Amino acid sequence: MEGLLQLLFNGLSVGAVYALFALGYTLVFSVLGVINFAHGAIFTLGAYFTYFLIGGTVGANGLMAGQQLPFSLPFWLALPLAGVGAAAVALGLERIAFRPLRERGSDPLLALITSLGAGVILVNLIQLLVGAESYSIPVGTLEALPVAISIAGAKVRTVQVLLLAIAGLLLVALSIWIDGSRSGKALQAVSEDPVTAQLLGINSGRMIQIAFGISGFLAGVAGGLVGLSVSIAGPYFGIGYGLKGLGVLVLGGLGSVPGAVLGGLIIGLAEACVPADLSGYKDAVAFGFLFLMLLIRPQGLLGRPLAEKV
Amino acid sequence: MSLLQVENVGVRFGGLQALQAVDLAVQEGEIFGLLGPNGAGKTTLFNVVSGLTAASSGSVRWRGAAIDGLSSHRIARLGIARTFQNLRLFNSLSCLDNVLVGLHQHGRQPPLAALLQTPTFRRRESQLRQQALELLSLFGLDTAAHQNAANLSYGDRRRLEMARALASRPQLLLLDEPAAGMNPSEKDDLKNLIRRVRDEFALTVLIIEHHVPLMLGLCDRLAVLNFGQRIALGSPDQVRHDPAVIEAYLGGTP
Amino acid sequence: METGLLVQMLLGALLGLSVYLPLRCGQLSLATPGFYAIGGTVAALLSTRVPALGSGDAFYPIASVLLEMALAALLTGVLALGLGRVVLRLRGIYLAIATIALVEILRVVTLNLEFTGGALGIFGIPQPFSGPEGYVGLTLILLAVVCWLCDRLEKTRPGRAMAAIRDDELAAASQGINTADTKLLAFVLSALVAGVTGVVAAHFLNSWNAKLGNFDASITTLAFVVFGGSRTWLGPVFGGLLLTALPELLRPVGDLRLIVFGAVILVGPLFFPQGLITPQLFQTLWRRMERSAVPRPQEGRP
Repeated sequence: MEGLLQLLFNGLSVGAVYALFALGYTLVFSVLGVINFAHGAIFTLGAYFTYFLIGGTVGANGLMAGQQLPFSLPFWLALPLAGVGAAAVALGLERIAFRPLRERGSDPLLALITSLGAGVILVNLIQLLVGAESYSIPVGTLEALPVAISIAGAKVRTVQVLLLAIAGLLLVALSIWIDGSRSGKALQAVSEDPVTAQLLGINSGRMIQIAFGISGFLAGVAGGLVGLSVSIAGPYFGIGYGLKGLGVLVLGGLGSVPGAVLGGLIIGLAEACVPADLSGYKDAVAFGFLFLMLLIRPQGLLGRPLAEKV
Repeated sequence: MSLLQVENVGVRFGGLQALQAVDLAVQEGEIFGLLGPNGAGKTTLFNVVSGLTAASSGSVRWRGAAIDGLSSHRIARLGIARTFQNLRLFNSLSCLDNVLVGLHQHGRQPPLAALLQTPTFRRRESQLRQQALELLSLFGLDTAAHQNAANLSYGDRRRLEMARALASRPQLLLLDEPAAGMNPSEKDDLKNLIRRVRDEFALTVLIIEHHVPLMLGLCDRLAVLNFGQRIALGSPDQVRHDPAVIEAYLGGTP
Repeated sequence: METGLLVQMLLGALLGLSVYLPLRCGQLSLATPGFYAIGGTVAALLSTRVPALGSGDAFYPIASVLLEMALAALLTGVLALGLGRVVLRLRGIYLAIATIALVEILRVVTLNLEFTGGALGIFGIPQPFSGPEGYVGLTLILLAVVCWLCDRLEKTRPGRAMAAIRDDELAAASQGINTADTKLLAFVLSALVAGVTGVVAAHFLNSWNAKLGNFDASITTLAFVVFGGSRTWLGPVFGGLLLTALPELLRPVGDLRLIVFGAVILVGPLFFPQGLITPQLFQTLWRRMERSAVPRPQEGRP
């Protein structure tokens, strides 16, 4: 029973991060119909931002070796700020790698390449500045909170509970915003049909920016949370999440917000269920799901059916 | 035996009944028209015949054999060619290449001959090009042979699509609003062109068009669709005077 | 220029062609590194584990390399035939994602299997040549053959069918083109090219591991084609040569080189959405050459 609960918590907390990550993909996909391959780099940046905002020092490598910010913030403040920083970068990314293609009416698939180019720049910029070593956000950052708490007899790391809570909060806030607010509805309209939305007086360009901003924020926060619960394993550590995020995205359905959440939780739980002696294959779980889903039901669990107009 | 027989065909898209129990029989050699207001189901019927949309009920027979459920390339190979209402040309290809793609089923050559460019291969390829050029000149497009299809005028693009459809040497040609976007004199030419093509290529033509005078002047027989149902069938004279047609389509004017 | 870099550039061009083939019929498949990895693994395993092939000789026999190529082609071809039937029902971004998943699954499996050497991979792959010069010859011949095949393909019936599918799959089917088989042909050819290239690369690199066929490779090879152009085979060849050389050529700028590389990938599609090499480019060049080649009327008269 305790083992099961432990498993459940492990799976859900990892799944929550996947969900946050995939939501960013799905928001951008719903308005532009493309995948932002720099999303993993934004996630990575969020983790580094968090690390430096809480007063972390740059290691021995990189141009900024040994430096640190003149102040240090508590984690609860550093995390949202890191999210805002990541959102700002995502907005810049939209401006440089996506908008020019849209303005020229180029093939949207080209955004795969431009966003990847931007991702390569970001990742290598991080490496240049702060080196390739891994950083970890000390658990002491959580100050008064105990390292682990006991729920129904199972010992669960506080970080995991925190992670689950923050992710849950963000997911709820996002769905309230999408379904309840004017701009949320406008976003849905743009994802339905950008041209018609424009004719109805919705500023599509603005909604695309909002989608990028939120997507960057969510990725940044997810990065910070992973940095806290695991570690920041160097500038490339977002790429793995970026790929698994694709699995989550497809499983839930491209462009579907609840789908991204469901997909994230399913894959998180499924990974947690992989027995220890097969742990090497854990990374294949998301892709296995992805592949099967595409064959059985390409629109994903909660996506709309794909149809071509004659 | 009719060339094409549509029996009791119905198509449902979700809650929408696009076609309901439609019956038609197209005889070899005739020009058969489909009239009807927008949304009457004419293009849906074309899509069913050409294998792009599956019928929810009923069946389609080609020379007596059922062809429903066949993929569209198989139907094309039987000798049924079509054009599209919103033009579906290969826009990055030249006019010549568009027609050469239309000749696809007749251009098969052994792969080895193609790799080694044997004399037979070259001869066959140049024959194909010759045929394509002839078709282009029939439609007055020979001077544009090397231009990209995307750069043509609207009327020329319509004509190119017809040329491409004819390249497969079909027995039945489905034309979906071939006169759309053409000016009156172009429409007149089109009428003669369709007749000429029918005679020269020994074709049967099934045509959708909104321009009523053109249809009455061109078609041997007509069927009128409204809300997915066939409401009239007969010669232009019969259809012109059919009360149901006057009511539904001509809006009461005689 | 270093000879080794030249070999890498030629291998890059071959991989570019492998991505190009499906893309020419509108199919964005990122499976190339997977088939490349399979080819490399086949070569690494055969040449290190089967002494009869001649790993004990002073130079590994070329005939054995050719045999590895044939086996790699057979394996990747059969695999592509089966997988292609399944994944090619997907379109656009869905196909791209499905092929990324295939490559990742393959990578994870290779990483965990005993006989592929796990994370470390396979070392000491025997050398058929004394230096990189031999590899230049081998890859040049291979590239020439693949280019010739692509050129013939483009100028004949299947090539026209592929271009038609890229422009409008539905209209292509209405012309009697078996779109499923045509796409499958392109996919299988792409796998063959990647597999055979993997064989040469494994010998050239002397060792082989799972990392060589990862997602980075998927995207880099795609960049070859997008950058070079996907309308004629010259595009990916040019893109593969240039983008493989670029990080090396940028070595003088030191740590900035990968940043510059990223910037090139970012900016390329913005300014050259069709890639650098397009058929139009050739038409323009051709016209100019014709104009300057035709002698003026006054000249040539006594």
